[in-house]
Parts: sequence; structure tokens; C-alpha cells
Amino acid sequence: MAVLATQPLLKIENLRTYFYARSKHSFIRAVDGVSLEVGHSETVGVVGESGSGKSIAAMSVMGLISNGPGVIGGSIRFTGRRVQRDLLEGLDKFVNVKERHGRVMVVNKDEAGWQKASERQMKNLRGKEIAMIFQNPRASLNPYITVGEQLTEAVQLHTLYKTRKEASDRALYWLEQVKIDSPRLRFNSYPADLSGGMCQRAMIAMALSSEPALLIADEPTTGLDATIQSKIVNLLEELKSETGISTLLISHDISVISRLADRVAVMYGGAVVEYGQSKLVLGEDASIKHPYTAALLASVPSEQQIRDKASLQTIEGDVLDTINVPAGCRFYARCNQITPEINEKCASHHPELREISPGHQVRCWRFSN
Amino acid sequence: MSKTILEVKQLSKHFSRNRSVLSGLQRNRRTEIIPAVDNVSFYLRENETMGLVGESGCGKTTVGRTILRLIKPTSGTVLFNDRDITHLSDQELRPLRKDMQLIFQDLDAGLNPKMRVQSILSEAVSVFERLSDAEIKVKTRMLLDQVNLKYSKLSSYPSELSGGEKRRVGIARVLAVGAKIIVADEPTSALDVSIQAQVVNLLRELQTQLGLSYLFISHDLQVVELMSHKVAVMYLGKIVEMGLTEHVSSAARHPYTYILWSSLVGKLSLEALHPLKLDRRANWGVFDFERPTRGCRFAPRCPVYERLGHPAECTDPENEPQLRDVGEGHQVACHFPLGN
Repeated sequence: MAVLATQPLLKIENLRTYFYARSKHSFIRAVDGVSLEVGHSETVGVVGESGSGKSIAAMSVMGLISNGPGVIGGSIRFTGRRVQRDLLEGLDKFVNVKERHGRVMVVNKDEAGWQKASERQMKNLRGKEIAMIFQNPRASLNPYITVGEQLTEAVQLHTLYKTRKEASDRALYWLEQVKIDSPRLRFNSYPADLSGGMCQRAMIAMALSSEPALLIADEPTTGLDATIQSKIVNLLEELKSETGISTLLISHDISVISRLADRVAVMYGGAVVEYGQSKLVLGEDASIKHPYTAALLASVPSEQQIRDKASLQTIEGDVLDTINVPAGCRFYARCNQITPEINEKCASHHPELREISPGHQVRCWRFSN
Repeated sequence: MSKTILEVKQLSKHFSRNRSVLSGLQRNRRTEIIPAVDNVSFYLRENETMGLVGESGCGKTTVGRTILRLIKPTSGTVLFNDRDITHLSDQELRPLRKDMQLIFQDLDAGLNPKMRVQSILSEAVSVFERLSDAEIKVKTRMLLDQVNLKYSKLSSYPSELSGGEKRRVGIARVLAVGAKIIVADEPTSALDVSIQAQVVNLLRELQTQLGLSYLFISHDLQVVELMSHKVAVMYLGKIVEMGLTEHVSSAARHPYTYILWSSLVGKLSLEALHPLKLDRRANWGVFDFERPTRGCRFAPRCPVYERLGHPAECTDPENEPQLRDVGEGHQVACHFPLGN
């Protein structure tokens, strides 16, 4: 038990997931050296614009990346109650990365070997210890099988409720837990008969039915109506306090993250640029933030702006091109807080994630001394 | 006072659905009528934005499409510049298409993936007038300036553009024909906050520059509040509340509007403002299997109905609440409006 007390549930270190763009003969550096920790009974939020690598990082943890070369390095240490292991352990022998000046030039990967070894690592883990809910709930449910049937199958597969009767009772129990209305009626209906919000609840029920140690929620509220969105957020909040499940919550909706997350990681261009307590990262004080976080928060319309119909603040420029990653800071081209003293460093050197106060890390040269 | 450019009177659109595949073979086949839009009336002035909000499936998009005559209405009239366009033939409608355009919800839907931005725009520019190549070039560049896109993007394919850029190209296409009314169907729902802010700013700048009128359809209440002068709230095909944005958002009279606005994830302080104490966690449920088509449609979900002990007027099929004025152009369709 001593291990459990000291080790976080999930510890991602220097994770790199690349894709190869055949037309451009170069790598897309989707996730480029991400380090994250999710503690026991903790919710960690990941925010960032689309294309910042949030979802790819989550899918790398689940071992769901199938395009080449995919995950090429790093470690994902999982320390659950039943299973403790590095999900990428022993996989590095399938990859041969040639670097020049710190840039990956060639990747030779035995993808079949990797896949096989990765499947072995993920067995008994995916869906059981780590469960995931996706952005589009309807796409993740089989349209030809009733919701109850699908849930029962998941219960039978992942838990000790093996007989059909036990499993379907348990499935019904979970449908009640996620507060779907008239669960008995929903149990026998097909996904097409459920609304988007109900589908998402059914997905959450399915994810929780195996009583996982970690839940990865990838944009659980995007695409739902405002009324349903707030209900799903309330549900996740209640489940968090009732079951104490650890969650990795990915969203570009800052209000959702600020409601649910204990700690927040802000991602930009495949790297974490800020990481720390939710109230520090998403709080009012812009002076202790990464310029990107500050700009992202400023672009959310405030109540005052809505009332005055004021012009919204925007972040100039485009999302980082993860193919031609600049040598310096990745946010350099869009940053509005560059001072003459640090300009040279910003342009030429990629800053490290630096601790600026206990538990609050920022990747910016402004905080270099 | 600017003049009314679009007026919609008692517009209805009913879709019918056969109950089963085989029912077509039966003699007395039963078709189900779905009133997607029912008796909707409003008007839009020049240089004005009207927001249309509601949950998915309430008929917002159908209203937008019916106004543009992409769908033929079941009944009612649409007046554009005081001209009835409800019964025009396709040929008569064609010159009017120039004035009324749609921005699609789906970023890719309006852009041919095999055409470069250059050809996408020059096609739109030259569809209504005959222009020389040089004129087309000048005009496409002008459009790019209007939507703040770089000229270098002209040679890109849609797949090479980011979400915000695709949206801009979509807007440029609408401007290319010189539209006066733009129906914007969820123009920001697929975008990130930072990009969303850019698009909202752009749409508002264009409105002041070109004097456009928008029908802004969205389920994102904050964006609607930012963009619109007036707001209409729809529930199951009917407008339940309509008025100036400030009134509807902060002094809602219909229980549905109130719940809609207080359910914003970040908004927590609203309860204190209002006499109606609602437990937001209370299960006012998704009763979407229960869709009354007569009487008050909101009654099965309504907290006021619940609190007043199920008054008979609310469910009386003969006594459907009608929109009535409660002062300053604020209209509400409810037997027991909030406030007072």
C-alpha cells in the first residue's frame, strides 16, 4: 500500500506521438513531450484549442493510436489498486528514432510487433481499469443493439457478474446511477431512440460499470445543448464526489473544466504550457500565467462583455503548424507579452516547464529567473 | 427607424413520417404529422440581428431554411421587402437568392473539397453577373480583405485550412453575391472559443460595414446574447418568448427561457436575481418522448405548472397560450408568466 500513497494513479512522462504526413514527407508532431500526472481521486482537466494534441494524448494512453508511426516514446506509469505497470514498458525495442539537433529525423518502428506487445500490456486494463468516454456518444454505441444489451455485455466482460441475470441487473443499476430517466424503459431501447444527453449518460454508465480506477472523458459535453450540458456536468460532479473516481477530463470548454477539475494542464502545439491548481491556472491573476492561457481566458465572453456587446478579444495568428515546429517557443508568433529582454531567447530556445510557485508550472521565458 | 426587410407571418412547416416501411402498402396508411415549425411570426429590420435559440430539435434550422425557401412551407407567408415570396416559382426566386444567403453549420458542407479557395470564390462572384477575369480577381481579393484572410490562402484546398479559415471562406462566399439577409445556422458551434471570438467579431464588423441583417440560429446562448438585438426562444416548433436581448436574457418571463439561461454552465448567480427559486438539480427531465402538440407544449417539463398544482388551463387542448405583449415589445406565450 505504500506504493499507492506515494505514486500518482497515472504518470505520463515525455510522451511523444507522431504521425507521418506522406504528402509533405515530414512528421506531424501531434504530441511532443507531454508529462502529466493524475492523482488518486483527482480530476485533471486538459484544455487547448483543436489541434493542440489533447485527444491524441488521451488516445495514446488508451493504446488506441493506429496510424503510423504513432507513439514513439515516453512512459505511462499506471499505479492502480489491482494493476501497477508502465503501459509502454518494453515497447521501446520496437522503435528506433534517429534525432539530429533534437529533432526527430527518421523513425523505424516495427508496428506489428508494437501493436502485439501493446495489446498484451493493455489487456485487462482498457475498459476495465481505464475507461474512456468519447465526444460523440451516438457514434460509440452500436445502433443495432439495445442499450441494455451493450451495457450487459460490458459488465460481463469486465466484472465478476458473469451470469446474464446478474450482469443485466448490474447494468440496470448503473443506468440508475447515471440518473437516466425511466431506466427500465431505456434499457430496452436502441441508441437511435435516445436523445444525445441520454446517449452520453448511457456511455458514462458503460464506462463506470467496470468500476475503473481512471476515467478519460474526451469532450463529454461538446455538441450537447446548454441545458443538457449543465446536467452532464452536474452528473460528473456528483459521480466524482460519490465514487471518488480519478478523471482525466479533456475539453475546450473552459467553464466545464473550471467546474470539475482540481488541476488543469493547458496544451498548445503538442506540449503542456501550463500545469497547476485549477484556481491558479484559470484564476483572475493574469500575471502568473502563460501568455497563451491568459489569451485563451480573455477570449471567453465575460458577462460584462455580453451586456455591453463589446468586441471580443482574440488570439492573433493561427494554431501552430505541428509539422514545421519553430526552434524557439511555440507560442512565439502569437504571443503578445514578449519583452525586448527575452525576445531573443523566445525566438531561439524552447522554454522548459518551470515551477513558479509550489505545484504551478509554466513554460515561458518570462518566468526564467 | 430602419425599414423592415423580412417579415414572417404564421409560418408553419409540418413534416410527415410514415409509421413503418410496410404502412405504405396498407390501404389506410397512417402518417404521423410532425409540426417542426408551428405558427411562427416575427420580423427583421435592416441592420438588425435576430437570435433564434432553443434546444436541438425545436425547429430553429427549419425556420431558417423555410425563410430561404429551401423548404416549402406548409402554410403562412414570408415577405421579403414587402414582397410575398412564399409562392414564387424557382425561376422567380432565383434573382432573390442573391439577397438571402445561408451560412451552414457544417464547416465543410459548403466548400467543395476538390476546389481551391480561388475557384470557390470566383465561382461565387461570377454566378450572378458576367465579369472579366481581371474583375473576378479584384473582387475575390476584396472579399478576402473583408474577412481578413491572407491572399496566400487562395491556392489552398479546404482541407488545408483551419476551422476558422474555412468559416471565413464560407462567409466570403455569402458576401460575394451581395447578400442582405444572412441566415447563420450555428456558425460558431464547431469552433474553439478563441476562433469563435474571431468569427463573432467578424460578423459584427461586417454588419456595421455593409448593413447586413442576420437571423442568428444557435444553441449557444452566450454567443446569441452577444450578437443579437432581438431574441426569439423556440420550444417544440413554437416561439414561446420574444423581445429585446436584454429583456429576454435577464428578465425572462417564460419558465423555459428562464431555465435555458440559468442552465449555462458558468452562470451560478442567477438564482439570487429571481423570485422563482428553482433547484437546478431538480429533475425537470428530458421528456422528449412526450411532445404534446396541443395546449401548452412545455407543461410536462414546466416547474411553474408543477408548483401551481397542475392548473387545468395549461393542459387544456383548446386553450393554447398565445404570444402576448408584456410591455416594450416583449412577448411571451405563457398562462402564468414569471415576474410581477
